[in-house]
Amino acid sequence: MIRLYGERRANLVRIFAARLRSVAEAEDLVQDLFLKVQALGELEVEGDGSALLFRMANNLMLDRLRSQARAGARDENWRGLQTTTLGDQPVADAPSAEDVVAGRQRLDVMMATLETLPTQVAKAFTLHKLDGLSHAETAVAMGVSRSAIEKHVSAALKALMAKLP
Amino acid sequence: MTRSQTDIEVAIDWLVLLQGDTVTEDDWRAFDAWLTASPAHALAYDQAQAFDQRLDLDARLVERAPSVTATASTNVIALRPTRRVWLWSAGSAIAAAFVAGAVLLPGSGLLGGRETRYVTGVGERRTIALEDGTRIELNAASRLTVRFERNARHVRMDDAQAFFDVAKDSRRPFLIEAGDTQVRVVGTRFDVRHRDGQVAVAVQRGLVEVRPASAAPVRLRPGQGLSHVEGQDDARVATVPVDEVTGWRQGRLIYRDRPLSEIVGDLNRLFPRPVKLADARAADMRLSGVLIVDEQDAMVGRLSHLLPVRTTTTNDAIVIRAR
Repeated sequence: MIRLYGERRANLVRIFAARLRSVAEAEDLVQDLFLKVQALGELEVEGDGSALLFRMANNLMLDRLRSQARAGARDENWRGLQTTTLGDQPVADAPSAEDVVAGRQRLDVMMATLETLPTQVAKAFTLHKLDGLSHAETAVAMGVSRSAIEKHVSAALKALMAKLP
Repeated sequence: MTRSQTDIEVAIDWLVLLQGDTVTEDDWRAFDAWLTASPAHALAYDQAQAFDQRLDLDARLVERAPSVTATASTNVIALRPTRRVWLWSAGSAIAAAFVAGAVLLPGSGLLGGRETRYVTGVGERRTIALEDGTRIELNAASRLTVRFERNARHVRMDDAQAFFDVAKDSRRPFLIEAGDTQVRVVGTRFDVRHRDGQVAVAVQRGLVEVRPASAAPVRLRPGQGLSHVEGQDDARVATVPVDEVTGWRQGRLIYRDRPLSEIVGDLNRLFPRPVKLADARAADMRLSGVLIVDEQDAMVGRLSHLLPVRTTTTNDAIVIRAR
């Protein structure tokens, strides 16, 4: 199991970073997974053990998504309230003025690009990415299947990645 | 259509699938096989993922940016959480004074400032609450001195690593001296590491001005970090994963491509039994990964799983050599 873990480690980080939306979080999760794997010792497992590895990893991720939902809300509230200054220069906490301007410019390009796409594609992407609905929630909102949503989001991302730096 | 564009498109399909609510074991196997098939695939996937995270960040950035009407009310509410931190700090100030071995020295400062010295031993970690509401989390085997004056708050870091949560006071800037480098802030959260002649600063929140001797001052924003070798003329500013740099606060040492010699240095600040490197080949090995801080034997054991090394334990030392 430990060897399998070693071989799969980098790919596991990629998988979990997609869902957790953070490479650092995924690294952390994969380290927790290592401790679990190590605790198993040289346990005899069916096949090559990758099924077990995946299930263990998946459970850890679900735990983390639950606590992320709680911590996220708390952190967001806190951040919203913090402002600071250096000398006489006011600093809107995390995002600097330039960050906001650059972000807005990218968003403008994003919006312009979305307008050139089929309406369903643009709508699915907006609901998922900007309004933060999950694929399943977006599917319900638009009355289409989840796989249709995934195709739309994919198509929008491809178009955007071609347009944005 | 070029080859790499195709890879990117496939990578985006995978990314979206993996972000879905139900990922199956078959998906995982197929993705794993695709990644393994070509290094270009992993590269394309990492690019797609970075791009996607950038979009998420943009979306949130614009949401959070204060609008003109929101600013006034934000400032009013801002007092609340700050005050809560103050109250909380007051209790731990008393505790910290006992446990961190605080030594009060007679007012030696020219302006009559009072100097307090804080020391942590090997394996000891302490939170210090200062009278202005600032909190300092001191990592193991660290020494620093705090001196408050009417116009400024001073901290001198000897060999130390600390995370600062500085209370806002625009009339008294917070100045940190770490070797030949000066850090200046008003109110913010950041990490400073001054070890083995190197200074590293990583900012979590707010704005921090860093001035290494003989280099131009640099203003760091959240997510940015500066590293500097004492005595040299330059400093390197880069985007740093601040949560990783400050992992020690949660008992996690997180490394990205760091030499084993540095990791052994960190271990020796955590446990009294010394860890030694037997050869230069082992010292130069690079590690990326997370080490959870628990028992020394267990941590060294995990190192030998992550790197091609062998460890020998005796009563008074642990020796690591290349395998």
